[in-house]
Amino acid sequence: MDTLVLKTLARDAGALLLEHIWIVFISAGIATLVGVSVGILGTRRPPVRRYSLAFANVAQTIPSLAMFGFLIPIPLIGGIGKRAAILSLILYALLPILRNTITGITSVDPAVRDSAIAMGMTDWQLLRHVELPLAAPTIFAGIRIALVATIGTTAIAATIGAGGLGVLILRGLASVNTMEILAGALPAAALALAVDGIMALVERRWRIEP
Amino acid sequence: MIFLSFRDVECRRNGRIILDHFSFDLHDGETLVLLGRSGSGKTTTLRLILRLLNYDNGEIFFEGRDLRSWNPIALRRRVGYVIQDVGLLPHWTVEQNIALVPKLHGWPEDKTRWRVRELLEQVGLPYEDFAQRMPHHLSGGQRQRIGVARALAGNPALLLFDEPFGALDPLTRLDMQQQFLALREQYRVPAIFVTHDVGEALKLGTRIAVLENGQMEFMASRDEFWNATTPIAQAFLKTLAVTGDVA
Repeated sequence: MDTLVLKTLARDAGALLLEHIWIVFISAGIATLVGVSVGILGTRRPPVRRYSLAFANVAQTIPSLAMFGFLIPIPLIGGIGKRAAILSLILYALLPILRNTITGITSVDPAVRDSAIAMGMTDWQLLRHVELPLAAPTIFAGIRIALVATIGTTAIAATIGAGGLGVLILRGLASVNTMEILAGALPAAALALAVDGIMALVERRWRIEP
Repeated sequence: MIFLSFRDVECRRNGRIILDHFSFDLHDGETLVLLGRSGSGKTTTLRLILRLLNYDNGEIFFEGRDLRSWNPIALRRRVGYVIQDVGLLPHWTVEQNIALVPKLHGWPEDKTRWRVRELLEQVGLPYEDFAQRMPHHLSGGQRQRIGVARALAGNPALLLFDEPFGALDPLTRLDMQQQFLALREQYRVPAIFVTHDVGEALKLGTRIAVLENGQMEFMASRDEFWNATTPIAQAFLKTLAVTGDVA
């Protein structure tokens, strides 16, 4: 393989890596907003908890390729490209964030919650000063799982034209070019490891002694 | 003057009667001890006052007003509550924990800090050594002292103690009981103290009420309690002979 081909491959990989990161952070960001908000609501309204968890569970069971396929014929939210990919990535990322938010908040020591309420905290103060800070490590662990999983699934989203490092992998598979497959797979793996490592560091700082 | 009044209060949970036609008055400055076995309705009584639970029948008056007419948040901020598990916020320092109610009341920072310092000294923990500690760096006794300080911080009109010293070793417990008496002299706030230890009841109560199956079995002043004739009150007094605990 000559230098020009390698240079082109590296340039493509760089641009596609940025696109990959962009898709991951948009999807995981929206999933975090939705998952944490619905999770908080679910701790206050049992039916919300039941239905939202059931929905996120079902979404998780659909194979990613099938999910991308299902979305193609759906007007407005579906089709080909980034929009449909981001939507399905959000659905995939939802479960760990939602579940961990609910688990984190409901696992707060009842004595701590009770005494905070008995001291005269409003529901909002309880959430802001007690439940969210104490649940933060658990919620954060959910976001970490979702982020790392999304980095992997985003590679498959290239099948519906979302872009990202999956483009190189698909192109490599089609032309039986190992170099091209690696140019897509290695940065994706490195990105997943780097994000996981950074999140682990942040998580460690958040740990609260019981 | 009657500060708090229960009139024929009935409370049911899952079809079971927890409090049954329960009545008593709490007067200004007195410490009423609710003495009873586990499940007799002592804790429920405290939780009703804080509106953490609702009652089904009867009436409760707090400072002369129907309890149901009180805003629950405003009501809770007028009451200091101490529980056995303490329930300190584990991610807050000792100072932040004690300052909780003053902050909810919107006290200025200087006044709050002064109050925290004063309370820490009153419960025997020097401000310089303890204010910035986290709860997990405290012993059980120290945590309970912080719990008492926190309950007193907002100048409450009523204090509720739910078996606060039940999990402490005997020496720390004795020390905490002495401290309770000293603080009572100082603050003269009406209090309800829940315990299943008759020795503690006789040490700390100005009046003692015995609960059994959600009903008031017997109520008398501390001195009259020795002459109790009802079976549960007598059974509690007999435990003193076994443990050798003398009030």
